[in-house]
Amino acid sequence: MGLRSPRADLVGLVLLAGLGGLFAIFFVLPFLGLGERAASDGRVWELATSEAVRRALTLSLWTSLLSTLLAVIFGTPVAYWLSRTRVRGRALLEAAVDLPIVLPPTVAGVALLTAFGARGLVGEPLAEMTGIRLTFTATAVVMAQLLVAAPFYVRAARSGFAAVDPQLERVAYTLGASRVETFLRITVPQARGALLAGIVLCWARALGELGATLIFAGSLEGRTRTMPLAIIDAFERTSLGLSGAVSMSLILLVVAFVVLVLFRLATPDAPDATAARATQADR
Amino acid sequence: MSSLRYDARMRLGTFEYDAAFEADGEVVVLFGHSGAGKSLTLQAIAGLLTPAEGHIEIAGRTVFDRVSGIDVPPQQRNVGYVVQELALFPHMSVVENVAFGVPGSRVERHARARALLDRLGLAGYEDRAPGSLSGGQRQRVALARALARDVPLLLLDEPFSALDESLRRTLRAELLRLRAELGLTVVFVTHDLREAHLLADRLAVFDRGKILQFGRREEVFHRPASRRVAELTGVGNVMSGRVLRRLEGVLEVDVSGLVLRVEDPEWRPAVGEGVELALRAERVNLRRGAPEELGASNFVQADVMEEHAYGAGFTLRFAPLGPGPSLEVDLPSRPYEVLGLQERKRWTLELPAEDLHVMRPAPPEEGGGSGVSGDR
Repeated sequence: MGLRSPRADLVGLVLLAGLGGLFAIFFVLPFLGLGERAASDGRVWELATSEAVRRALTLSLWTSLLSTLLAVIFGTPVAYWLSRTRVRGRALLEAAVDLPIVLPPTVAGVALLTAFGARGLVGEPLAEMTGIRLTFTATAVVMAQLLVAAPFYVRAARSGFAAVDPQLERVAYTLGASRVETFLRITVPQARGALLAGIVLCWARALGELGATLIFAGSLEGRTRTMPLAIIDAFERTSLGLSGAVSMSLILLVVAFVVLVLFRLATPDAPDATAARATQADR
Repeated sequence: MSSLRYDARMRLGTFEYDAAFEADGEVVVLFGHSGAGKSLTLQAIAGLLTPAEGHIEIAGRTVFDRVSGIDVPPQQRNVGYVVQELALFPHMSVVENVAFGVPGSRVERHARARALLDRLGLAGYEDRAPGSLSGGQRQRVALARALARDVPLLLLDEPFSALDESLRRTLRAELLRLRAELGLTVVFVTHDLREAHLLADRLAVFDRGKILQFGRREEVFHRPASRRVAELTGVGNVMSGRVLRRLEGVLEVDVSGLVLRVEDPEWRPAVGEGVELALRAERVNLRRGAPEELGASNFVQADVMEEHAYGAGFTLRFAPLGPGPSLEVDLPSRPYEVLGLQERKRWTLELPAEDLHVMRPAPPEEGGGSGVSGDR
């Protein structure tokens, strides 16, 4: 690289600062708009406390928390296995796990319908034998969220487990700890940061789930209409309108912000902080 | 009853492993280059790796036997295992690390851990995080953790290799003291020749997945079984020769035109047969005067060709004036000065017959062995 004049350096810096500034403005403006609208529209508070919004929020919260819990329960063993196995075709398996991250959620919704719908692969015999129909129920909401959001947790957990030195586990075995005990006492605490990050990502994705839920669970008020669906609905019908959408958006914004702050507080020793401490100790 | 009886065979890719040895209330050092199969051996003993064939006994209990299908899991083998990286649990305090494997209530476990830490000079460090300790302290914590379960057998995989020399010296002494106090059997892996010599009661020399020689330390160092063992244990002078004739308990061997008298080994090589001679570099004597004045044989006049100073001593490379091999001689710095080697470079070297060890010639497929196989 040739010598650069201080002048060229300055131009570069200004350019970078300008780009960064524009990017920041782009991110801030929509939220400013939301706030401005809420302040000027007198119906926002009234709508936020309405029965329809309250029910949508309750449904969104418990379904997203339940699907996150299920993702953790079922996804953790899979993630651990993926992080330790050297089985042939592991790359293929990992790609399959990641698939719902890449696919549009509407595809996931259609796929769910073909499997668990009234005339689906499993749905039809299930309905015939037990009379249970999954579509258009809260169960369907949870299933849609699980399919779309769980891969985020599995992915994060897998890389978290992979970063734990297997030597630690092997030494724990020689100290008499069973595999399960070793996993709970050594591996999980080491991967704590990654697991929590995965949980938050998974929950956020479940909370925002729209496409798959709409196709597989529908948008039935009080039963399957989650917050994102209610916001869509507010546009389609005139009853709530833009004011309703704004008020619900604000609610989701606050919920998301509170959760993120709580998450930061819960992980004072995120992976980067731990690494910094370790390097300090080495000196 | 031996503390450890070990016999295992396995194949990992192109790496063929076959090793057998035993240990009984002593320090057995597994010595060899990296990738020779030493760490593999410890893993097989600890139960972290299953051999294809073999039989392993710890303190009289069979923990692995291919034929009868016994394979005790690592949790129940009751061995202390310390790896090179130590693998201290970073999210636990020092005392929690040591107490990890101890059975009983929390109070009992911590009491036991504290007692051990105290014994290892770590009193006052119980609540520290492992990451905040020095290398030597971390090493002691790993040792305490491995010992906390009252194990009869301690497996150490190059535990001191990351430490500086003075610290290693302290820790070796501490290890030997602990070994004696606790009546432990220790299997110690190292690629450091001096460490092997210092710690070993018995020594197993590993090379490419095989034990070339297993025996008492002095035996291995002074009576290597083959040229390869001699090279690995730093013998200094390994010479190929041919038996000229057999006298009364003495062989005359021709080495590059120099006739050396050596003790006739038990396996009695035939006259005319090729043999290998090993002579440790520190066993060569420097003499003044011509060979003819000094005695009948095993003297050769030579000039210093190369000198390497190592603080405590010198390694000298001599080239003979007449026929004969070039020779390596180790000399401590004091005799080097007293003899006046700075000025005088021509000496008569004495190769004492009792220090010249006769080895069988290497079979062709094993002979070329200078290669070091990949890390394992």
